[in-house]
Amino acid sequence: MMTALLVLTVLLGGCAVVNLIKPGQTGHRRSVYVLTALNLCFVTGFFWICYLHYSIYRHLPLEISQQTADWINYHLAALNRKSAFAMPLYDTGHIPRYTLPLWIENEKYFFWFMCYALAALVTHIRSRHVRLNAIIALLLVPQSVILVAAADPFSTPLPGFFSEIAPWFKSGMPAAGQIGLFMRLYPRLVFYYNAVYMWLHPPMLFISYACITIMFAACLVMLFDHSPTVERTAYESAKPGFILLTVGMLFGYPWALQAWGPNWWWDPKICSSIIMWAVYGAYLHSRLYLHRSGMWKLTSALGILCFATLILTVLTSYYFPGQHTFQAP
Amino acid sequence: MNTRKQHLTYDLFLILATIAVLCIICFICMYGMVHFKAARIQLLPAPQKLLYLNHMNRLVAPFVIGLVFLIGICIPRRLLSDRRLMWANAGFIVLIFACGVWSGIRAALMVTLLVSLMLQSVVLVLAIAGSSRLKFETRNYWVRVGSCLIHLGLVLFVLDILSHNRPGLHTVLFVLTTVSSMVGMLLCFYAGPLADFLKLRREPNSGQSLDPCSENLTQKD
Repeated sequence: MMTALLVLTVLLGGCAVVNLIKPGQTGHRRSVYVLTALNLCFVTGFFWICYLHYSIYRHLPLEISQQTADWINYHLAALNRKSAFAMPLYDTGHIPRYTLPLWIENEKYFFWFMCYALAALVTHIRSRHVRLNAIIALLLVPQSVILVAAADPFSTPLPGFFSEIAPWFKSGMPAAGQIGLFMRLYPRLVFYYNAVYMWLHPPMLFISYACITIMFAACLVMLFDHSPTVERTAYESAKPGFILLTVGMLFGYPWALQAWGPNWWWDPKICSSIIMWAVYGAYLHSRLYLHRSGMWKLTSALGILCFATLILTVLTSYYFPGQHTFQAP
Repeated sequence: MNTRKQHLTYDLFLILATIAVLCIICFICMYGMVHFKAARIQLLPAPQKLLYLNHMNRLVAPFVIGLVFLIGICIPRRLLSDRRLMWANAGFIVLIFACGVWSGIRAALMVTLLVSLMLQSVVLVLAIAGSSRLKFETRNYWVRVGSCLIHLGLVLFVLDILSHNRPGLHTVLFVLTTVSSMVGMLLCFYAGPLADFLKLRREPNSGQSLDPCSENLTQKD
């Protein structure tokens, strides 16, 4: 899967370079064909991920005996009395199962880049600006390299999740150990893996990231080409991006309030997301005055800055500690 | 300078002021991020962590208040003529200042937000009714309603943050904020396709472009 992806990306990159140097409709058509094949590859991979998650749901339930369930429920009820947010009691009639979101661990990059590839294909079909399309296609190259080199979701799928639950499925664990492990796994299952927010907050943000990347490419071209068509492309991708970013961030708000209390906004990742949202908002506002002198350059600069803040937001998870961090504890 | 130009300048001034305040908030956020990492806040005990949070809250508070205040003076411009707007804003500043001195900053903020909420609700109702008295840069019906909903969503969101410790009210405000912002953005961004879809052109000059920005581009070109 990843080899096919890489080969198609190299082909697409080649087409893009040719289109940049010598723009023409033939090269553009070739680019559309390769991009369509690349999208098919991404969608096939995504279906595989869906199947993996369905298999986890079917075959890896968090099952305990009735006696252990009674003991755990007694203690959970006691905990719930003291806590603001209640944890559901264990129901032996409905064994808790993992409904894993399709964008955790390395899969999130796969989902994000798949959304970008789809957005790139849509832009290729709708826009006839060959150089803009070439830059959009070129931006897929580093994304595929990241997937193959550092975030392959197929070679070892969900390593964090499997290492977390592996001890549970080992036989011969003493009862006390099983209860202790259950009390670690069950809250993670309820408040993270099966949380409804995980099905709304991350995918909305990843789709908006894809839209921002298209907007970035168009704003880059706007710096050199005073073309209303390119500006229109930037705006057309900025619109769904901003809606999804705003609503996605809003959906994260009650979750953050539950998890971290009223001072949730000083987490580094949230700070950088607020910066990104503010710059994005500034871009959309400055665009209203595009006909004024100097506003064309300012608008395109803000679009590029918005992408820079997106990169900052992603890197924040790696280089800054906090609730969203990917750093080891 | 004619009235429309004056309004445009006033609008541009408000937008530039909003962008400036947002920029300052961005810089404070960046400072917060660097400070968080440098001081290893995540490893500190809870009381020291709270000190950091309070320090950051104190730092950002004047600008958040500024932003709320900008929302406050941004809303009446839809309703009033330039001269009345100046008087209304002067009165509003005196009222907020008196509230701040009398009952503290939180109460002044609450009054600002409640007045803004009330005015914005009036603007929204007038926009839905298709009133021609409202002063918007665009004449498109759906963009006007959408813009009103987005601003209403902003006011509701700040109110929601202030009422986070009341779970019932928080939930209601959160739902209203999300719905208002989302519908507002959809109407603003997709006014053209929506109007085409509904075949409901309430304006007499329905032949014009529905996107205010494309109007601008056409003017330029």
